[in-house]
Amino acid sequence: MRKLIILVTLFTLVIAAVADARIRVKGRGDRMNFDPDSIPANYRASFDLMSRKCIKCHTMERTVIAVQTGRAPITGQPFDRQAVKAYGIKMLRKPNSNMNKQEIREVVILLNYLLDENAR
Amino acid sequence: MTRKPALILCLIGSCLVQLIVVASSHAIPAFSRAYKVECSTCHTIYPELNEYGEAFLKNSYVYFGKGQKAAKAKEAAPAPKATAKPAGGAMEVRGEGDADKLSKLKGGALGAAEASSPEPAQEAAAPDAAPGGEAKPEGLLLAAIPELLPISFTASIHATYDHNAVNELDLSTRALKLNAGGNFREKVAFFATYVAYSENTDNILNTNTTSTTPANNSTNINELFVIWRHALDTPINFKVGRMQPKLGLWKSNNKLSTTNSFAPYAYTVGTSEFKLEQPQDALEANAVLANRFFVAAGVVNRKYQNTKEGYGHISYKFGGADYLANEPEVDLAKEESIFDFLTVTVGAYGYYGKNGTPNTTEGGLIQNTYYRSGLDLDILYKLFRLRVAGVLGKDDNAYLSTTPTEVKSYVAAVEGEYTFLQNLIGAMRFEYQDDGRGLVRRYIPTLAYAPLENVKVALEYKHEIASAYKSSVSSSAQDFTNKIGTLGVTFSF
Repeated sequence: MRKLIILVTLFTLVIAAVADARIRVKGRGDRMNFDPDSIPANYRASFDLMSRKCIKCHTMERTVIAVQTGRAPITGQPFDRQAVKAYGIKMLRKPNSNMNKQEIREVVILLNYLLDENAR
Repeated sequence: MTRKPALILCLIGSCLVQLIVVASSHAIPAFSRAYKVECSTCHTIYPELNEYGEAFLKNSYVYFGKGQKAAKAKEAAPAPKATAKPAGGAMEVRGEGDADKLSKLKGGALGAAEASSPEPAQEAAAPDAAPGGEAKPEGLLLAAIPELLPISFTASIHATYDHNAVNELDLSTRALKLNAGGNFREKVAFFATYVAYSENTDNILNTNTTSTTPANNSTNINELFVIWRHALDTPINFKVGRMQPKLGLWKSNNKLSTTNSFAPYAYTVGTSEFKLEQPQDALEANAVLANRFFVAAGVVNRKYQNTKEGYGHISYKFGGADYLANEPEVDLAKEESIFDFLTVTVGAYGYYGKNGTPNTTEGGLIQNTYYRSGLDLDILYKLFRLRVAGVLGKDDNAYLSTTPTEVKSYVAAVEGEYTFLQNLIGAMRFEYQDDGRGLVRRYIPTLAYAPLENVKVALEYKHEIASAYKSSVSSSAQDFTNKIGTLGVTFSF
């Protein structure tokens, strides 16, 4: 009986952990993106901004895979908070990225949130 | 007999698959192929380098992020986590630094449609995974052989209009070059340029043939060198072979224009063929120090000559990504500042040498002792780029005569560049050249467009005004103006 309780508890925990993953991904290939419905309301504006601006040079698939795997798809380097900030600065300075500091800041905060969700 | 239609169908299917595969392949040069990155990672419009391309060059063709930075990253890498996909239509955001999963995702092995099958626990990344997270076959890794043959081709076709030429509109200028470059296990790097064919308007003297190969640009190895990278675990790289000595801030092809070299790097004095951008047989030591300081020094060997020539270069970069491609520290919480976008690189160099008749010449040597010293400045601010280059030189026997004529030369260039779009850049250059023959001023506007990253269309115009110009010591001084327009297509694959 005790074993059964432990098993049921473990199973419930596993299910709960899976169910708690709030950020989902839709589509595949070039159409892959985070599911907008799973983005909290306070991050929705930043998400729209990211989805609109970042696709100028690359697909959202690149961003999703980076968050999903913790590694940048092109370089294979770790994609953590430090890397997110570095990419933000790179994009801020990139000619014709058309992103100002405020916009970069919002996207960096969003990506940090997504990374945190990923680490849960 | 019943198998025949099936066989035909199989063959047609196979052909279609081949066609689809060919249609979706990307014809890209050696580095792009090796590291699976787009041209714009290192170039503005090919072949002009951006600051990451400059870092790649200084890092001996090892992709930034690898080497020391990568080693640190490996040390700090978290333990691999087992991940599992839940049943359902959508894929969940899971995993932490999972290189194997990344490799599969990139290869299309995983996707939303396959989300219903549970994903097994993943292993840690292979220690020598390629930048893209894909492991090399062990045999190739141990043999230090690049997985892909590191060769690429660059072709250029130009239409030139020169109102002073007999053939005013010339469509016969073209070139085909082979480039090879890469590194062997990040210890040894190599680079080669082979001019397979080239043809210039200036050199078409024989009108009986339609494809005269000019003597000064013949089929030849232009550059061929190897680099012992980070020798004995020091920051010093040793480079040996035929190379452009590291003098100015920019390599000769690191510019928007495809036909007009920077005068300070390309001018000659008297009958001497020496110019700064000329490939030389040399041994060079260079190093990036404190991430932003670059030093280089070398010795040049000239054929048929015992005395060696020497040169040195120093440069420092303020702001922007450093020479190891690390981003500058920018506080994103603060308001925008000019320093967030400003990058200033300053470089200085010197070259001292002798050229003249070979050591074997009977009746004594006739030699020209010369030096060049220069200063370069590269300023980048958002969409603007300004390059300033100046050089002064002295040749004590520029015309290799028994009665030496000393010539002092002063040459400068200023080029402003503006990025209209990511694939549309315009530049305006002014050059001042006083090389002892006379005074030449040039105005060179250039507009470059890249419809694809490996295809460049450049429209250039050179307005050249020469005053009291003597093409040789004995000739009389003349004033003249050249107006040359060029439309060229350059593509690499």
